[in-house]
Amino acid sequence: MRILIVDDEGPARERLCRLLADSDEHEVVGEAGNGAQALKIAAKSAPDVVLLDIRMPGMNGIETAHHFNAFESPPAIIFTTAYDEYAVEAFDVGAVGYVLKPVRRKRLDRALEQAARLSNITLSAVAKRSGISDRRKHICARTHGDIRVILVRDVFYFQADQKYVRVHHRNGEDLIDDSLNYLEQEFADDFVRIHRSVLVAVQHIAALKKTTDGRDLVTLRDGSQDEDSGLIISRRHVADVRRRIKGQ
Amino acid sequence: MASRPPDVDKETQAYLPDFCAAGAIFVVVLVSALIAIVLTLASHTTPGTFLTELAKMSLFILWLGLLGAAILCQIRPWVEKFGQTQAFVIAFVLLELLSLVLAEIAFQLTGIFGEAVIINDTHSGFILRTFAISSIIIALAMRYLYISSEWRRSIVLEAQARISALQALIRPHFLFNSMNTIASLTRSDPTRAEEAIEDLADLFRANLGAQKNRTTLKDELEIAAIYQRIEKLRLGERLNVRWNIGDLPMRALMPSLTIQPLLENAIYHGIELLPEGGDVTVTGVRNDKNLEIEMRNPVAADRSGKKVGNQMALANIRQRFELAYGGKATVSVKQTDDEFRVKLCFPYDEHLV
Repeated sequence: MRILIVDDEGPARERLCRLLADSDEHEVVGEAGNGAQALKIAAKSAPDVVLLDIRMPGMNGIETAHHFNAFESPPAIIFTTAYDEYAVEAFDVGAVGYVLKPVRRKRLDRALEQAARLSNITLSAVAKRSGISDRRKHICARTHGDIRVILVRDVFYFQADQKYVRVHHRNGEDLIDDSLNYLEQEFADDFVRIHRSVLVAVQHIAALKKTTDGRDLVTLRDGSQDEDSGLIISRRHVADVRRRIKGQ
Repeated sequence: MASRPPDVDKETQAYLPDFCAAGAIFVVVLVSALIAIVLTLASHTTPGTFLTELAKMSLFILWLGLLGAAILCQIRPWVEKFGQTQAFVIAFVLLELLSLVLAEIAFQLTGIFGEAVIINDTHSGFILRTFAISSIIIALAMRYLYISSEWRRSIVLEAQARISALQALIRPHFLFNSMNTIASLTRSDPTRAEEAIEDLADLFRANLGAQKNRTTLKDELEIAAIYQRIEKLRLGERLNVRWNIGDLPMRALMPSLTIQPLLENAIYHGIELLPEGGDVTVTGVRNDKNLEIEMRNPVAADRSGKKVGNQMALANIRQRFELAYGGKATVSVKQTDDEFRVKLCFPYDEHLV
């Protein structure tokens, strides 16, 4: 099987590599030091199994697993961690195995066998069913063979664009698959719907304005727009947007 | 580190005893009777009237004692909120007022009963005498209650500190992660693996022996340095610790297991969650009579809203400082968006107390 190792600690990666090096069935296709890096490597090398640490800087293992689940053919996920308190969350995101550190060869082998028994079809089904209890901190934009990881707090607004949603963020724009309704639910605390097709980050709103022809606009703090332009607030959302901004 | 310290029994932490309890009331009655006997014996002059005098005296003192107990029983929950000294002062003033009111009532009642001489004194003389005697006795009683409450509290504090020291034992996660690192090093770098095992052994020996004593700053820093070495193996370039402690006298005494847990916090909640890692800065300053040690670490921005830092470890250190120095030491925490600071300030002391 093709395996991707994800751990922020060098010695921990090294040890997994060595445990796997002894077997002929497995091949390590990559190593990553954090979740975002893991997603990028996986998008290119399409591993069958990901050995994933949970407590990592930036994107943690649980959230990374959630993003893996959104892949077209998601890899099997085996968590390797010193903490047993994450087991419930781990299985919520559809993990195949949970191996405690220090990693024992036997336990690792057993988890890998388990992963090998699951076909791609089963894995996809598991991935689809899995949920995540926490809000994501990152959003993944996939473009043929590459992945862009965007911090949710860097997002200015989401805009529905035909089949996709366009994410406007600090470093540009990207298309993602999530539906606007789903995003609105997940990020209800930080984002507000201002239009049928637009969801804006409350923390990035600079002001509300009225145009000369009486329409309401939202201007954003990032300065990417001109002074006069802004995002149009549809009539039925005006009251709600006002309330949210006051609540800030 | 997994569980909170057990809540201290409320009763042992209260300043005033519970005067609603039957036992306490019995003691109040007994003490009142004894005081009545003493006072009657002292003032007894006319032969043959001892029992009548005692009866009058007991009546007055029992009223005072029982009413006093009833009042303290009712106001206790309220008065405890003000803190120790205030609680005793309030109780003293209330009892004093009660004794004056009772004395006035007793004097007025003798008027109603007419000829029989019940109180052999002038109005002001009687009130004044009552005031003087009750002041002394109530003050003595308060002093006794204060000392016994202090004693109870110090026992509880000490027990808590012991439990805390046990709980300050290193996080199990640290143990497992270190073991994993060592397992990895055994083949790639056996010498370092060997050193790591020696370090780990020293660290645990210090942790297990730490419940009893204060230690010297030198030993405390040594433990922290060992801890740093082990974490450095795991985190590599991501961890840097700057020690600006040249000013500190190494012979100074301090509660054991304080700097290492703070470093552990700084790494666990700060450095470990930063992709690029960061610097932990430890700064030591020596003032006139005090030593100040401050530890600063960067924290990840997405954690800024949350309480960073292991509150357990901090509460634990606070408690042990409180026990060791009373009010003379402080443990203060400052937290900004991207930085966490904790500062220990304690008296400079070279001798065991």
